[in-house]
Amino acid sequence: MSDILFILEFAGLILEGFIMTVIMTFLGLAGGFVLGVLSALGDVYGGKFLKIIINAYVEFFRGSPLIVQLLMFYFSIPILTGIKWDAFTAGAVTLMLNSGAYQKGYFKGAIEAVFKDQLLAAKSLGMTFKQTLMHIVLPQALRIVIPPWTNEYVSLGLSTSALIVIGLRELTNISKSIAAQTFRPLEVYLFTSIIYLVWITVSLKVLDYIYNRVRIPGLEVTSEI
Amino acid sequence: MADVVLACEGLKKAYGDLMVLKGINFKIEKGQTKVIIGPSGSGKSTFLRVIGLLEPPTDGKVFFEGQDVYSSDMDLNMVRAKIGFVFQEPSLFRHLTALDNVKIGLKVVLGMSEEEATEKAMETLRLVHLEEWAHHYPAQLSGGQQQRVGIARALAMDPDILLFDEPTASLDIELTWEVIDVMKELAEREVTMLVVTHEIGFAKEVADEILFMDDGKFLEWGPPEKVLRNPSTPRAREFLSRLLGGV
Repeated sequence: MSDILFILEFAGLILEGFIMTVIMTFLGLAGGFVLGVLSALGDVYGGKFLKIIINAYVEFFRGSPLIVQLLMFYFSIPILTGIKWDAFTAGAVTLMLNSGAYQKGYFKGAIEAVFKDQLLAAKSLGMTFKQTLMHIVLPQALRIVIPPWTNEYVSLGLSTSALIVIGLRELTNISKSIAAQTFRPLEVYLFTSIIYLVWITVSLKVLDYIYNRVRIPGLEVTSEI
Repeated sequence: MADVVLACEGLKKAYGDLMVLKGINFKIEKGQTKVIIGPSGSGKSTFLRVIGLLEPPTDGKVFFEGQDVYSSDMDLNMVRAKIGFVFQEPSLFRHLTALDNVKIGLKVVLGMSEEEATEKAMETLRLVHLEEWAHHYPAQLSGGQQQRVGIARALAMDPDILLFDEPTASLDIELTWEVIDVMKELAEREVTMLVVTHEIGFAKEVADEILFMDDGKFLEWGPPEKVLRNPSTPRAREFLSRLLGGV
């Protein structure tokens, strides 16, 4: 480990991989957020048929390995539909579906933590269902959900390394080629691990800061999900 | 003839096979205060929720200011906005300050501007003696204060009637008084009120009529002195002797 600085030669490549990792994480989280909120609302307020579909979706994505999901989507969609898609699109879509399944659970817990008496109170004021959702349920649920949602951020962020199986050039994949090229796996992977660690730690601090900015006294009491 | 604010005819409500309300006729006129008493499980809360349009009746009709609510094409939410409801649990919106709890209906349902709503909400909080607590969140208020915010939230909408569902049942005795005092002040201002409560002192002092409910029906009704002193049915006599005797 005398000349650890050799790694700087690959700084550009590593940065490229890191950016890809961050992009995939954000795409997965953002898409998963939308899917998660919608499936949670469907599961709480929807009809029986909708609930069955939502729960089948959630069970499937929570009950199988992300790597298998990535391989399946990447290779099977072109065969089934004839549409060619690249590793980026396939990876992003799979991460969204996967994260949505996990986020649904967090959002459902948070929505149900907004007690029924408040819904009745909103109704008695003459609010429509939509107004109640926008002004009462979601503002509380989104605050309550931040701590468990933080776990999903960490989990998905680190799981993006699974994208290596479909050949996407994210941080882990790039490190692997650098390690193979330089025959110095220890230094390369150690350095990569540190990048993940710093990124996740900084992100947690930011999320924590946001949570403290929007927190409301007493609201956290109901956050035992 | 006085204006009837809220009325019902042959009102029935069933949950599955369980018939909770068994055909109720009722009316309340502008400026009146009526108090409903009765054993738990007799259907008092259900009656309030059905006549307050929070739950649809299984059968029968509800009239708001003379109009059949469910057979005309009235906008139910607009009628609900004119019927104030105060619940047993304070049920405030936990992410909003006392002021914002009172404002939200004004803004979202009545479409008031920010300034208008703030002014109206502060004015209403003054009526329940909470203007100093306007910027506190529900968790920072006592049960009695929360309940008074709940009253202000309903009152600010300028409802034609206020319904109270055992507003003091979950409060300590001293907190009960502060809520009851506010309700007495409302009665003096001739706010139309329909109140489910076991605060007999309140009923005696302000009620124009007391109704005794048992097993999904009104068994007895009349002026307080008559119903409280001289109930004609054995069920009411038994209930009142326990309630007043304190045993």
